Amino acid sequence: MRRARFLLPIFALAAFCGCDVPVEQYPANQLHALVVATSRHVPTEVAAQDSAAVVEAWFGTPIRPRWPVDQMSGAAAKQLVDPDHLMRAAGRVYSDQQNRHFGLFNEHCVTCHGVAGGGDGPASLLQNPYPRDFRAGVFKWKSTHRSSKPTRHDLTTILQHGVPGTGMPSFASLSTEDLQALVDYVIYLSVRGEFERGLISQAVDTLGYEIERPDPEASLTTLLDPTGDSPAESSDAMQVARQLLDQICGEWVDATAEVIEVPAETPDDAESVRRGRELFHGQIANCVGCHGPGGNAEVATLDYDDWTKEFTTRLAITPSDREAVKPFRQAGALRPRQIHPRKLSDGVYRGGGDGDTLYRRIVGGIAGTPMPSQIIAQQATATGLSQAQVWDLVHYLHSLSGVHSLSEDQVEQ
Amino acid sequence: MNQTPPTETSADDLQTAGDAAPPSGGPAADSRWLHRLSLLSVLLVWPLIWVGGLVTTYDAGMAVPDWPGTYGYNLFLYPLSTWLYGPFDLFIEHGHRLLGAVVGLVAIGMVVAAVVERSRRWVRWLTVGILLAVISQGVLGGIRVLLGDRTFAMIHGCFGPLVFALCCIAAVVTSRTWWQRRRAVSATPKPLANWVVVVAVLPVLLSYLQLVLGAQLRHVQPATTPRTFTLIVAVHIVTACVLWLLTPILFVLVRRCGDLTLSRPAGWLILFVGTQILLGTGSWIVNYGWPSVLDFLPFGEGFLVRSKGFLDSIIVTAHVAVGSLILATSAVVLVQTLRQKYLVAHESN
Ligand code: HEC
Ligand code: HEC
Repeated sequence: MRRARFLLPIFALAAFCGCDVPVEQYPANQLHALVVATSRHVPTEVAAQDSAAVVEAWFGTPIRPRWPVDQMSGAAAKQLVDPDHLMRAAGRVYSDQQNRHFGLFNEHCVTCHGVAGGGDGPASLLQNPYPRDFRAGVFKWKSTHRSSKPTRHDLTTILQHGVPGTGMPSFASLSTEDLQALVDYVIYLSVRGEFERGLISQAVDTLGYEIERPDPEASLTTLLDPTGDSPAESSDAMQVARQLLDQICGEWVDATAEVIEVPAETPDDAESVRRGRELFHGQIANCVGCHGPGGNAEVATLDYDDWTKEFTTRLAITPSDREAVKPFRQAGALRPRQIHPRKLSDGVYRGGGDGDTLYRRIVGGIAGTPMPSQIIAQQATATGLSQAQVWDLVHYLHSLSGVHSLSEDQVEQ
Repeated sequence: MNQTPPTETSADDLQTAGDAAPPSGGPAADSRWLHRLSLLSVLLVWPLIWVGGLVTTYDAGMAVPDWPGTYGYNLFLYPLSTWLYGPFDLFIEHGHRLLGAVVGLVAIGMVVAAVVERSRRWVRWLTVGILLAVISQGVLGGIRVLLGDRTFAMIHGCFGPLVFALCCIAAVVTSRTWWQRRRAVSATPKPLANWVVVVAVLPVLLSYLQLVLGAQLRHVQPATTPRTFTLIVAVHIVTACVLWLLTPILFVLVRRCGDLTLSRPAGWLILFVGTQILLGTGSWIVNYGWPSVLDFLPFGEGFLVRSKGFLDSIIVTAHVAVGSLILATSAVVLVQTLRQKYLVAHESN
């Protein structure tokens, strides 16, 4: 007791400095609510509020995250994420005598990616590019098609290698177990975030949310009623929510089937590099339009990534118009920042520079950025490239940076 | 809390040093043990700050869940083998505690020496202040662990440098040169102006502000808004530049009195703050990547941040430790400046 009294001034000091209250709730996605409100011309306060409540009931809190298997129909979706891993990654930071670390996401990621993985952590504003907002479910550095989710392997690779030239660190020093827990948590945050976004949109578009709640059949509050058994099960709101969740989880489950196939590499010779250079500067691929002659990045471009376009150009708002952007900034958006096509001559590849990866990069483009995907045909056509031509481009890219293009396993042989 | 802030210390000095100062050579010989122990405390506390910094850099603060014991063992009885060969986090956290306990013992020794050697009264109070500060710092560390609270980690981190500065002051005021200055001073042509004291106070305040701001960045809460964080970074950088501009001015001013005990630390200060700015830039880079403002430098292209890399951790921890060094050095400069003014005032009387 006496000791407690001795501590009083210290507690007062702590209160003054802003005490360390563990974050008890995931911050709601106000930005998306505002985007929906602006695009639909409908108030979304109630929709956002009810969606947040449902998301919390299904997905838990940063202290007690939960994987809503009870709401899913697919067996694979239920196993997408290991609940034990979620507990390892979430919550307070500490470690035990076996050096198992807990609260991994808070220890390693939260300052950049934010509590809900919104890419808006404390240190986010000072980075270029900004940390990823997982809630949109869009990832850049993956082996799958442009509109597909990354595989677990892709995420693990990113965590191990980091993203050179950005703030995203390499976590190669972490154990495989820790990395897997983090990958699970990233998937969880992404599914959770996409579900929240989808629910807000659906509440307005399908369920008829406006200034007030729709009738009980369509109200999301029915999903929160712990006693409501049969009526809730069949309500419109429940169907919409479950369908949405199944769809999002389905995309993650299917990711492995969406990996871009890489055909056997064509000979990497001067002739191939020459063809690659022509394609690079040619009409079909038109890489030169963005990356400049020889990939020197000396082309004036004015473009933004999709995370920025969502609350600017797609709502007919000019990103540089500070006044118009202000409400979105207040709802949590980071200051719009241009995206620039990469200078390709210094050999820095954020998503990996080996032959197979670059092949996939050219075919799939870079999701969330202006870099487009390519249509691949058996034969070269007026609008599409052939597989061999993509390899030519890869060889040309490698020649730009002076890297030889043997993929890793070929080197080992 | 019974700390004796440097300014008050010297006010005391004005009243008591005159009568308590025995003839030449005497006091230095008298407080020999106190001086040795003070030096020892300085030599122990700086490494202690390094280890403490490493604990935070490695997020090892919660590697031992209990306190004051370690996994149920008494602090000093925790098995050596498990400590040395166990996980690195446990190694540094337990090591930090052990080293802290040793500093506590030294602080007790300082009080005893001050009493036995009948040091000047305010020096005796200084040692008591140091002991209390060391104890509080230990308790703060304990609370941080027991509550698992990062805010306390931050307070603990802000208080450590104060302890270090106090130890440095103790080492300076018990040293031989503190007394020998008397003779040097009589040859001094120009006494220091009053406003030089103000210029000497500023680095102490600014460098402490920097430590607090730095701790805010290091122990940032997940829910801090990007704006707040950005603002703190901006203030941290601007203050760093102001401080660095101030140090050469201070150096030139105190050099006029022609006393090396004063101008030497003032010179180091320029060096330390310059180094610190480089280390700070480095800390940003190894934590958050190559900043766009440095894009003009050729070697930043494709820089990869490595989580918990060894060199990276050293850079960040060095930034923390040199911060304490700057605070302590500016405190020493301030104390020496006050001493100089006091002596000159007495000579002219
Ligand atoms: C220092 C800031 C920082 C930290 C810490 C950080 N990230 Fe990132 N992260 C970024 C940035 C910046 C990007 C965007 C890179 C880009 O756009 O190329 C990113 C991107 C990502 C991506 C998306 C990759 C893709 O394919 O689009 C994932 C996944 C990711 N981070 C996971 C994590 C995890 C998990 C942690 C913690 C273990 C973490 N990050 C820690 C800054 C950070
Ligand atoms: C519409 C503009 C645009 C076009 C056309 C375009 N790119 Fe890009 N490219 C970009 C942008 C923007 C980035 C940077 C994306 C990022 O880092 O987020 C990029 C990045 C890249 C990268 C770096 C990938 C990495 O891992 O860091 C490569 C390689 C690349 N582009 C190759 C090509 C090739 C080859 C073509 C032609 C087939 C092409 N680009 C066409 C806009 C474009």
